[in-house]
Amino acid sequence: MNLKTNSWRLLVALTALMVVASCGGTTPGTTSKGTVTVAGFNFPESSILAQVYGQALAHDGYTVNYKLLLGTRPIVTTAIKAGQVDLYPGYAASELEFFNKGAGEATSDPAATTAKLNTYLQPAGLVALTPAAAVDANAFAVPQATADKYKLAKLSDITPAIASQLVFGAGPECPTYKFCLPGLKSVYGLTFKAVKTLDTDGSLTRAAFKNGSIQIGLVFTTDADLKGLGLVVLEDDKHMTAADNVVPIVRQTVATDNVKAVLNSIDAKLTTADLVSMVDQVANQHKDADAVATAWLQQHNYSS
Amino acid sequence: MPTGVFLVADPWVNWDWLSTHIPLFVAALQEHLTLTGIAIVGGLALSLPLGVAAHRWGVLRSPVLAVSEIFYTIPSIALFSLLIPYTGLTVVTAEVGLIGYTVLILVRNVMVGLEGVPADVIDAANGMGYRPLARLLRIELPIALPAIIAGIRIATVTTIGLVTITALIGLGGLGQLILRGFIENFHTPLVVATVLSIALALIADVTLAGAQRLAVPWARNT
Amino acid sequence: MAFLGGVWQWLSDPAHWSGANGIPQRLVEHIQLSAESVAIGALIALPIGILLGHYGRFGNLAINVSNVGRALPSFGILVIAFQVFGLGDFPIVLSLTALAIPPMLTNSYVALREVDADVKDAARGMGYRELTQVLRVELPLAVPLVMAGVRTSAVQVVATATLAALISGGGFGRYIIDGLAQQDFTKLFAGALLVALLAMATELSLSWLERVLVPRGIRLLNAPVSSKAATFKTA
Repeated sequence: MNLKTNSWRLLVALTALMVVASCGGTTPGTTSKGTVTVAGFNFPESSILAQVYGQALAHDGYTVNYKLLLGTRPIVTTAIKAGQVDLYPGYAASELEFFNKGAGEATSDPAATTAKLNTYLQPAGLVALTPAAAVDANAFAVPQATADKYKLAKLSDITPAIASQLVFGAGPECPTYKFCLPGLKSVYGLTFKAVKTLDTDGSLTRAAFKNGSIQIGLVFTTDADLKGLGLVVLEDDKHMTAADNVVPIVRQTVATDNVKAVLNSIDAKLTTADLVSMVDQVANQHKDADAVATAWLQQHNYSS
Repeated sequence: MPTGVFLVADPWVNWDWLSTHIPLFVAALQEHLTLTGIAIVGGLALSLPLGVAAHRWGVLRSPVLAVSEIFYTIPSIALFSLLIPYTGLTVVTAEVGLIGYTVLILVRNVMVGLEGVPADVIDAANGMGYRPLARLLRIELPIALPAIIAGIRIATVTTIGLVTITALIGLGGLGQLILRGFIENFHTPLVVATVLSIALALIADVTLAGAQRLAVPWARNT
Repeated sequence: MAFLGGVWQWLSDPAHWSGANGIPQRLVEHIQLSAESVAIGALIALPIGILLGHYGRFGNLAINVSNVGRALPSFGILVIAFQVFGLGDFPIVLSLTALAIPPMLTNSYVALREVDADVKDAARGMGYRELTQVLRVELPLAVPLVMAGVRTSAVQVVATATLAALISGGGFGRYIIDGLAQQDFTKLFAGALLVALLAMATELSLSWLERVLVPRGIRLLNAPVSSKAATFKTA
């Protein structure tokens, strides 16, 4: 056996090994009603909601794939418009103000907001289903010390003078997100001393509060750990945020009557208290989002 | 992490959680290997002809090297992100980037390997009547094999590291667990996935080093 | 092509040249993070590599540390550093330094090994003491390969520093990470372009530094072998 042949065999073997390694496990074929890919935003609550919707559909006989922690709203909407994902758990008012480019049409009425949202989704090949009662809106928190120092209980307590002394922290999508900096400016007239780009209500934001590099930051109304961290949520007394009810955003081609029925029945059962509890379990107690979702679904008998 | 930032203390590795979540890591490893494998196979398929061409037609050498060096400076996250409008949040986006970087590494090694074929060997082959293609396939490439495998080694280790970054565009294998650990502030998947990524790369490196040695029993390799 | 026109517009917009998110500020941040990491890395890697190479010890370790360096996932390292040390520049510089060390250590080891044994013999014969031998004789000959390692490290640190934006770091990475989050591809491309330009400028300035450091006689003796170990990519 000459060395040249040996060398070639080796190269072929290596390549074959690489090809074999490339072949991931294949799932056995099952008769399914179709495949749905569910996406989630880059925060735990979205992973939970994506799992709730996805597992409800799987229970009903669909093959479900997940793209969790996919990214910010701009990233996820790009993916769904391009057809890479079929469904994501949105928030009615925020979706509306994203698709209407901040025109300010969202109200505190979830049904009206969703109807308006659908006028923008229609040409994009998407549809918003029936919103749930569960709400998770943007909120703004300050450390207790800051609230005491400037006597802050609601957002309108922040005068422009005070604002110019506060460093604001939020995720990178904040500067163009209606219910973040633009809203704080237009509704409350606030311009902050500086803006630090952190994350969407995650560990970077909390670390920044802790080490004092921000004095006001974006949090969510379903966060259960704020009090324990010494943070105070300022009341949105001028109602800058609107009806951010959880609502599934689906691609029209995937939104069959059956899919709509399953998802709408889930929405009919989902409450804000459920969200708070589930988020607490995942974000603070390190339970798995899929396990928490399964527990909730079983408790509520899925989409029946 | 400074204490008091989070309510629940979180050990660096929660062995209970880990023992009940092995399938999660197995699935991540599979995805990681798949992404890496496609990149290496695709990279080889492209860089062998490209390297041979650059070796044959010297005029291609400088442009090929120059383009590689410029591409090298582009952070992979930027490359992946810029491909999104064209290829979407898909495996294709990740692989265009990963294969691109693999080609940059391998084409150089193919060229160096071919350049290392002694002139008298080529002469002898010509004298024996080998036509250029046969000479390439049966004499030059086998002699260049150690250098090529050295390149595969470097490309594999590098790619395993770069695959974690594709988690930022929805893929990533072990990178997904790193991302989850980051976003959920959960140490165990973060630490274990990082360690597994390093281990995977080192195992691949040692295995390929062995292959390199097998390919040239007559020479010592560094 | 309209897209590139948009990028040009973004780059020439005066609003993008001032303020905390302006190009000059981000440039300074990026250079600061990169330079600190490479400098600290060099302070650690070069003496170790040079000494190991001079004495010819632990060669396998010195050479394989490059493989280990390549195996480190920069994303994972940065996040772990954040989890341990919190926000700020410290975890970023720490991570980048760890990534910067391997190529410099390996290259300086190999550089010292490759110094001609005859030259070392001659130096010893001339009565040079150990340290003087290293400094006066071996190092000047080793500079090209050592500098190649420094250049490789520096270029990769500049590219990897973009990921620092993920843990709230500054620098040009902000344009890339924020551009991705906002799906603002103009900003993203501009950021990538700026990073690439900075990396090339780094490469060029370190090549210039090498020319300054290599004694004229040796430069004339050896045609500059551009032995770039450019096969080190961490981000």
